[in-house]
Amino acid sequence: MAQLLTKRKLFWQITLALVVLMVVVLCCSLIGTKQISLKSVFARAGQPNTINPDYEIFMHVRLPRIFLACIVGAALACSGVVFQAILRNPLADPYILGISSGAGLGTIIAVISGLSLPILGNSPIAIFAFIGAIGTIWLVWFIGRLAGKSNVTGLLLAGVVVNAFFSAIIMFLTSIAKSQQIYATIFWLMGNISEESIFVLWLAAGLTIAGIVALFYISPQLNALCFGADEARSMGIDTSRTQLIAFAVAALITSIAVCLSGLIGFVGLIVPHGVRLVFGPDHRRLLPLSAITGAIFLTAADTLARTIVAPAQLPVGVVTAIAGGPFFLFLLIRYTRKIGWLNK
Amino acid sequence: MNIIEVKNLSFSYSETQVLRNISFEVEQGTFLAIVGPNGAGKSTLINLLSALLKRDSGVIKVDEKPIESYSTKALSEKIAVVRQESTPVFGFSVIETVMMARTTHYGQLGFETETDRQIVNEALKVTDTDRFAPRLLSNLSSGERQRVFITRAFAQDTPILLLDEPTSFLDYKHQVGIYDLLKKAQNERQKTILSVTHDINLAAQYADIALLIAADNNYVYGPTTDVLSQKQLEKFFDTKIFTADIGQGKFFMPLGKFAKDAGLVKTNNKRQT
Amino acid sequence: MKKWWYLLAAFICWVVAGFSIFDFLPAQNSIAARPYQEISRIISTAPNITEILFAVGLEEKITGVTSDSTYPASAAEKQNIGNFWQPDIEAIIAAKPNLVVTLGFPLYPQQQNLADRLRRFGYNSLTVFNTEKVSDLFDAIEKIGIATQRQGQANALAADIKQKLDRIGFLVAEKEKVRVLYVVQRNPLRVAGRDTFINEMIELAGGENAIGATIQKYPPISSEQLIACNTDVIIEPTMGQENAELLEQSGLQYWSRFKNIPAVKNKRIYVVADDAISQLGPRLPEGVETITRCLKPELFENQQ
Repeated sequence: MAQLLTKRKLFWQITLALVVLMVVVLCCSLIGTKQISLKSVFARAGQPNTINPDYEIFMHVRLPRIFLACIVGAALACSGVVFQAILRNPLADPYILGISSGAGLGTIIAVISGLSLPILGNSPIAIFAFIGAIGTIWLVWFIGRLAGKSNVTGLLLAGVVVNAFFSAIIMFLTSIAKSQQIYATIFWLMGNISEESIFVLWLAAGLTIAGIVALFYISPQLNALCFGADEARSMGIDTSRTQLIAFAVAALITSIAVCLSGLIGFVGLIVPHGVRLVFGPDHRRLLPLSAITGAIFLTAADTLARTIVAPAQLPVGVVTAIAGGPFFLFLLIRYTRKIGWLNK
Repeated sequence: MNIIEVKNLSFSYSETQVLRNISFEVEQGTFLAIVGPNGAGKSTLINLLSALLKRDSGVIKVDEKPIESYSTKALSEKIAVVRQESTPVFGFSVIETVMMARTTHYGQLGFETETDRQIVNEALKVTDTDRFAPRLLSNLSSGERQRVFITRAFAQDTPILLLDEPTSFLDYKHQVGIYDLLKKAQNERQKTILSVTHDINLAAQYADIALLIAADNNYVYGPTTDVLSQKQLEKFFDTKIFTADIGQGKFFMPLGKFAKDAGLVKTNNKRQT
Repeated sequence: MKKWWYLLAAFICWVVAGFSIFDFLPAQNSIAARPYQEISRIISTAPNITEILFAVGLEEKITGVTSDSTYPASAAEKQNIGNFWQPDIEAIIAAKPNLVVTLGFPLYPQQQNLADRLRRFGYNSLTVFNTEKVSDLFDAIEKIGIATQRQGQANALAADIKQKLDRIGFLVAEKEKVRVLYVVQRNPLRVAGRDTFINEMIELAGGENAIGATIQKYPPISSEQLIACNTDVIIEPTMGQENAELLEQSGLQYWSRFKNIPAVKNKRIYVVADDAISQLGPRLPEGVETITRCLKPELFENQQ
């Protein structure tokens, strides 16, 4: 917090966080609608021809799902960190630049057009949501640049405009859709974690981790950017390059998260704040720790979502909102006191 | 040696011509005060000199090389800029803030080197800010914060320092403290200081050279004693100014019609009413 | 700059490792998928599938159904594996099924998703009802018959349904088509359009949808369009939730505004229990008959 970050401190903090993550993953994989225990999971050694449902559930249902929750949680948290830094706005979250309506539009187009070809084992909804999300963010970037380079206000305004426009289109398409299609769209967008093929998860994890490492590489520049693009440039930082990389990576990992699991809110907003409050705003530490904390948070939230009203499932976005809301309020109060907003 | 050379510099924001054909040269190790009424283009000049803005025409040379030939990083090794103090949105501490000046020198993984730490520690000592190194920037007073930003500029270890109104909104103690710091940097480290200021008296006391710019793009450049005279100041600022001598420098006090001592002002020039 | 190349190299290695370690093509693996195995543990994830399974005589072999499978009554006693919108995959796996029957894409993507996942894990899953045409019903019955080796019973069921439908068809053949509006919602006023399977049932029942072709399947219509379509009969389903009587009472007040529509003038507004109408199952003929009774009550006067 007050002292400079050193390599050794960072290494130990990340290691400790990873250990906590492993523990959480293990515990959550043993919780679910069906009671299973580690012993029964590994008792399959016996007859190869019988089905061990505990093993099936553990390996094929729970672990992939938890893996997915970790990827999405990490991606959303890091994306939140980046947008807060670039836009210099503590209330920024991954969806602030219109991604949510872009993904929604992609989703509803996929559902309405009734495409039935699964791509790579995925329904086309996910692919279209991805294209929608990442296309929108580039549209916003492009429009924002017309307002002038490094102009934060331009980006925000472009985001608002694009959001409004796409939301209108979504409303129109919703009105001509069949009720099941509407339900399918809304349910998908509400944010849900369900199982994907391991291969897809592996690719997504690879992209997300690569993105987080890339963001770590530009962390010192992100630190400087927090003082404004002009200040950063005077200190010798190539602000255009930094903003472009940050923006591109954040767009990519957010779109992956949305494509895998719909729109899950609050993770990208409160995890960066929580980590910042405890560990300070230095992005070299904030990014990796936010990623791990995001993974832990979403895994726990998802476990709650699938057990609290079993056998039905709450959309995980509901749990993150209920948990996130009051926590965010608490953070806000502490935060404003810390900044001393009574000060000039 | 001329560390900064400006020839026929012109710049306009869309329709408004802010600077027209300004030329001047700054020798290394001088303290230049840039003064003038609002809208004269002082901040614009600072932004042009730090390559934040691109000029319309003319030449700017830094250390005898055209400014366009410098990359952002290279220019940051020649010029450091201090603007008005602000509180960042996120809670960085003083030492983290100052260390940011060394970002371009960090190692592969993005951590500071031993040299960086030494330079930062020295800067903190010189500006007497090391006692609040671990504190959050937001917990300091404005004056203290501004000193931190100057410390950061020192930590950049550049021969040139540009400042845009570094002491507006600060009280006497902090104003003087900062100008003393700058003068010390000039004397002890041969730094070249360009400071935009509204305070003519401080400029008169601390600067060697002055650049007085007017809103109509007129300007005067030369030693402070020549440029900052009652006649020129009254002309450029379009106000009556009372002058008195104090030792080596002069003292200037603008007096309006209803000021107590309005009658004391000698009218040397024609007035436009 | 070097660190970026390292990152790229590491990422490429990761992707290549992924291709070599994991199967990126769907399905395969282990245990449960044995084609000629006796199907003894069946899971159904939709109420109409449950009805078909019961009708084909598979009651004892059904291991689990969703919570909304309420017909026939004994279905409610089966193990609950979630609901129609969210079947619980853990409960399904725990029930050790050897056949899982679900609805399909594009109508029900989440159910198709479930079926695909189960197939990937090696479970035997069958999807039926990819669209909502009456032909899908026969298709589903046939597929279920083949999968459970009950082709005989399946064909009998299909024939029985067809025969009942033909009977109704015979009754209403050559008769004048009655204009009918199927009102699914009052505020705002929404009706079943031409591109729905309710429309198909209306036509089988000897009626004609009073509303013309629309973009939306269940379009909201204005009062003006309501009056213009000049419908002879209005049918309102209870949607399983509302009390039929309540709906009738509030209907009197609601429809009195449109005194000049033939349906209101001649008091031909019918509230019907809709569970046989709104889903495509073995009770289709009863659903069609219910509609026919509303459209042409005179055809049934000589019967009970």
